Amino acid sequence: MNRSVHRETDRRALTIVTLLAFFALVIGGRLVQLQWIDRLAFSDRANRQRTFIESIAARPGDIVDRNGRLMATTISVRSLYANPAHIADAAQFARDVAPLLNLDADRLAARLKLNRKKQFLWIKRRLTEQQEIDVRALKMPAERWGFRREFLRRYPQGQLAAHILGLRGIDGDGRGGVEQTFESVLRGTDGERVLVRDARGRVIDVETEPVRPAQHGRTVVLSLDAVIQLYTERALDRVMQEWRPSSACAIVIDPTTCDVLAMASRPAFDPNNPVDVLPAAWKNTAIASMYEPGSTFKPFIVAWAVDQQIISRDETFNCERGAYRMGRRILHDHHPYGQLSVTDILVKSSNIGMAKIGERMTNRSLYEAAVTFGFGRRTGTELPGELTGVVRKLSKWNRYSTGSIPMGQELAVTPLQLITAHAALANGGKLLSPRLVLGDMEAMEDFGRRSMPNATTQVVTQTVGAETATWVVAGPMRGVVQRGTGKRAQLPDFAVFGKSGTAQKHDPATGGYSSNRYVCSFVCGAPVDNPRALVLVLVDEPTIGTSHYGGTVAAPAASRILQKTLLHLRVPSDAPRPRTASGR
Amino acid sequence: MYFRFGSALVLVVLISLAGIALEKRNLELRRSVTRQRFRHDVLHDAHIRLRLETQRLGAPARTIDALESGELRVEPHRKPMVKRDDQ
Repeated sequence: MNRSVHRETDRRALTIVTLLAFFALVIGGRLVQLQWIDRLAFSDRANRQRTFIESIAARPGDIVDRNGRLMATTISVRSLYANPAHIADAAQFARDVAPLLNLDADRLAARLKLNRKKQFLWIKRRLTEQQEIDVRALKMPAERWGFRREFLRRYPQGQLAAHILGLRGIDGDGRGGVEQTFESVLRGTDGERVLVRDARGRVIDVETEPVRPAQHGRTVVLSLDAVIQLYTERALDRVMQEWRPSSACAIVIDPTTCDVLAMASRPAFDPNNPVDVLPAAWKNTAIASMYEPGSTFKPFIVAWAVDQQIISRDETFNCERGAYRMGRRILHDHHPYGQLSVTDILVKSSNIGMAKIGERMTNRSLYEAAVTFGFGRRTGTELPGELTGVVRKLSKWNRYSTGSIPMGQELAVTPLQLITAHAALANGGKLLSPRLVLGDMEAMEDFGRRSMPNATTQVVTQTVGAETATWVVAGPMRGVVQRGTGKRAQLPDFAVFGKSGTAQKHDPATGGYSSNRYVCSFVCGAPVDNPRALVLVLVDEPTIGTSHYGGTVAAPAASRILQKTLLHLRVPSDAPRPRTASGR
Repeated sequence: MYFRFGSALVLVVLISLAGIALEKRNLELRRSVTRQRFRHDVLHDAHIRLRLETQRLGAPARTIDALESGELRVEPHRKPMVKRDDQ
């Protein structure tokens, strides 16, 4: 019996040992699986649970003028969000918060109730410092609300150059102007860093080295000069007050480089507070509006005709005492003239004289002149929304065009096209595409270097010979200011050249030209022997007074801008210096 | 035998204490680096705000009248960003 009992005991012991050994084997196998076979997968899973990647926002770059004055920068501010799922009494929360943020409490409560299952809801973005302090002072439970850091674009020069700069939307994307065109340079690239958190999701550690550091936006350098821009905008404000036009614009260009020193449009907006802005104020008239240029177009036709030897400089034309029949059409001059030289045709702005030059040139040559001076295509400026203007196909031109084109009708140009073409005349016939952005700051570390890698490539076209261009500027265009339609642009210290333009606008009611709606323009530059600045002022539909001519409405403003610009650029005066007592 | 066992135990404890001390120092330094970064960010933000305010107060729109009337003196740019070829 004892033997059978022992045998039974041994069998049980063997079973238990076997079971224990099997259990140990299973545990061992599981350990091998966890620690060896699936080690990497479990390790990744654990890492994912305790760490998360946070985006490091890149700070948008600054915009500065050619002298380093800050035009746009970005500051860091706080935005308030709520966690509606943790807010039991939405009405009370709204009553507490809304007055501090100038929000409507009822609407905020309704929003909170509507999104009560969500864990994130923006309450107000980009708070002021005082609002941030006031919200903190409420000492609300942390699970109900929070701040997030966001960037806020500021424009320290206020309304200055608003159309050039553009602005940034609520999500920081560039809208209009340089902000839009140079979005990729200004925006930068967001970075990433790893945060370690505990089981409750609280951040307990930040990895020292970011996975990818943020590359902040670069600084864009404009060709604008903030001081000249200010002079230009003040002159435009005065024009708006004096003449009450529907819009106006002014551009200042350095003709040798075609750098845009100032560009302004009215009406305008404040990029720091873009609310309640008139729809017309968003439009950059200098590039996004087009007009018939009127008499400001005449110098190009004369320059082309002289350069192509179709007419000679000392030739005279009979201006028919103020009335000339071209087919079924009778052309008129503002004053009756008899025999006029080519110079005087421009100085007196004779339409009949220009029509006769047009007849000599024929439509083909007129078309070539318009196209060569860059009309009918974009100038290539860096701003978005530039129009091409209108130069119809040559096949659509007729005998009417032969008389209309030389006096600046039947085609439409943008103000920037017009001043760029005039800059070509002031620059020895070389047509350059206008430049508004010089490059980014990193590329400009060597300040003395002219060629910068990120600067816009400028296209250069020779329009007319240097001798012809110089003659048009120093002869007829100088005469316009000395004794013609641009006398109001004379400056005491500088020899100014210029050309006025008064274009009738289209009247939709009659289908013809309006007799009381004009576009008045004036382009002028100085000094005549080495032009350093060129100014265009264009005033659309002045309403005050009756004398709506380029020489009366736009010329005074253009000369005022030109004078201030030349003084600011320290251009030596043309006037002879008074002799001192010693006779030196 | 007790002495050897005691020595080994003390050695293990000492090594552990040294490890803990090193770990504490490491955490301290990391906290310090994080604090420095935070301070750097705060100072950078402050610098940007002050620069913005400086530029706003010194904007041509505010100063040009005083400069033209002679209340302020004009200082020429010592280091122009763009030089003309003829200058």
